[in-house]
Amino acid sequence: MVRLITHNLLACHVRGCTTNNFPLAFKDVEIQLREAEFNQDFLRGFLPKLEWRALVDTAKSLNDQSLPDTPPAPEQMDTEFLKALHHVLLEIHVEEGAMVCANCGHVYPISNGIPNMLLQEHEL
Amino acid sequence: MSNEKAVVPAPDITGDASKYEETHVHAIYDEIASHFSATRYKPWPIVKQFMSSLTPGSIGVDLGCGNGKYMNNPSSIRTIGMDRSRNLLEVAKLARQDGCDVILGDVMEMPWRAHAFDYAISIATIHHLATHSRRVKSVELLLKSLKPHGGRALIYVWAIEQDGASKRVIPTTDVPQYQASGIDVLVPWVHNVKPEASTESSPPVYKRYYHMFAKGELRSLVVEAAHALQLHVGESGESNRSQRGLQIIQDGWERSNYYIEATTWEKE
Ligand SMILES: [Zn+2]
Repeated sequence: MVRLITHNLLACHVRGCTTNNFPLAFKDVEIQLREAEFNQDFLRGFLPKLEWRALVDTAKSLNDQSLPDTPPAPEQMDTEFLKALHHVLLEIHVEEGAMVCANCGHVYPISNGIPNMLLQEHEL
Repeated sequence: MSNEKAVVPAPDITGDASKYEETHVHAIYDEIASHFSATRYKPWPIVKQFMSSLTPGSIGVDLGCGNGKYMNNPSSIRTIGMDRSRNLLEVAKLARQDGCDVILGDVMEMPWRAHAFDYAISIATIHHLATHSRRVKSVELLLKSLKPHGGRALIYVWAIEQDGASKRVIPTTDVPQYQASGIDVLVPWVHNVKPEASTESSPPVYKRYYHMFAKGELRSLVVEAAHALQLHVGESGESNRSQRGLQIIQDGWERSNYYIEATTWEKE
């Protein structure tokens, strides 16, 4: 499955593509929403490692506006915020479509929820 | 044991190693995925221990996740699975009740931000890479995937030294000259999907390529990869002037496999 938790980690790795290769842009996506197990400890621990800007912009590109432009300080993370973060990271499943590199234009197809990150020999 | 089921030395690999792996590893796993998956459910103790020691909030990657047997973790951590076999990934994505994130990828590539992960595991994967330099490169990429300080790695590979209980017959005596640097073998997979079926047509046998590691070989592989990344191998401390390094936490042998656990460090 491609959820935003994974999308926030993936980057284009075509040889020579080292700047502006993150985040990849979703294209022609088919989305399913599925409930996931809520775990505060995970969210609080994981949040500092997120590329926040990329997460917010990508969520917006999938019509989810629930996240603030800057993350709240740890002591101000209320349940409402954590639930929204949980939903964006773990409950939006991109089942079909593609991810496109803004720098080199490489297209990484997604089929049946599995993104194909393999490159051709000449791209390595 | 019929000849068909014996482990045999692999013929010398000539030409493109990645193409060789495509034929002798990836294509076979795609073919045998469902049957293979049904046989892979018992976690190895060292891996289990490692997974249960991870800090809540950790994000990790399972390089060569297969059917996802190490991805059914408590929801306080999340593991992204990568494999070359789409058919195994179709199984792996269901390893957790609420789903697992998996990606189709190769351990010779790194399709994510460098240093993005808190942990990386490579369980029974790099012994399918057909040359020493490819195995080193894959470990380099694994280490590069880890955060610079406190990133944890666990690697597990098949050993020449087999458990007494193992059913495998290993042709080590045939090829003693290769033992110091491991041996390359073809391991048959008898694709016996219908055990009750008539024996008139015998099940297909797929021969998978394995590099069986010699004692000490995995550790020196990790050291070589760390050095290639300018990482000091050893403890952080005043005894060395390096800024970044890799500490080997433990290494050993368990149930016909060698394993190694290591942690990255960076001085402030
Ligand atoms: Zn690119």
